[in-house]
Amino acid sequence: MRIYEELFIVKPDAPDEEVDQFVEQLRTQLTSAGATVDKVEKWGKRRLAYRVDKYREGAYVLFQFTSEPDGVKELERRLRVSDIVLKFITVRIDQTLKRLDKRKKERDKRAAKRAASAPAAPAPAQPSLAQQMTEPPATMPGVPKEA
Amino acid sequence: MPESKGRPGSAGQRPTGGDKAVATQKKQYFRRKKVCRFCVERIDDINYKDVKMLHAFVAERGKIVPRRISGVCAPHQRRLTDAIKKARNIALLPFAAQF
Repeated sequence: MRIYEELFIVKPDAPDEEVDQFVEQLRTQLTSAGATVDKVEKWGKRRLAYRVDKYREGAYVLFQFTSEPDGVKELERRLRVSDIVLKFITVRIDQTLKRLDKRKKERDKRAAKRAASAPAAPAPAQPSLAQQMTEPPATMPGVPKEA
Repeated sequence: MPESKGRPGSAGQRPTGGDKAVATQKKQYFRRKKVCRFCVERIDDINYKDVKMLHAFVAERGKIVPRRISGVCAPHQRRLTDAIKKARNIALLPFAAQF
């Protein structure tokens, strides 16, 4: 099983009910194909960076799901056939997520290490600092001009 | 341009090509050392959906800013170009600015 992300643009003039229905259709299709839909996000209407099929804006919809490669094939076919979809992109993200997870763990580990060693370092430093704080008043009265 | 320097010995100190010393020439001038923003700010994820961030690395005409200008380190530039190209495909970023 792999984790995928599907981002597609729906025509801006498509009615909301139709979009909702389409999204629902995709979801049921995915689940029936043995995939699990983890996340469905609607970004709403956005300006496109360039004109696509004479449209200057579009509604973005993001899917995140776990599926076998075959499930993606069917999903892409449906998107291609559908009239209301302008553009779509499929990105496999499980490897990226894994990498990010690893990086984060390393970071946390290092941070924990630093936190563990940090109290040891200031501990001897603090008494000396306290000494310095207490020293001047002790010597000051005797020798006022020392700067 | 990030002004803060990375911690000593980190990627912030690595030469990025844009910080060659010009002391050998007659005219001496100071050039600020460039640092990779992703290393300094510890950004691991360069995502194609993050248009705001990607915009900072795309020139006016829609071209990808070379790292000799932006100071991004090689591994991060690789991921960055990848993200920008994906974003272009889904119309989040322009292939070329229209005039």
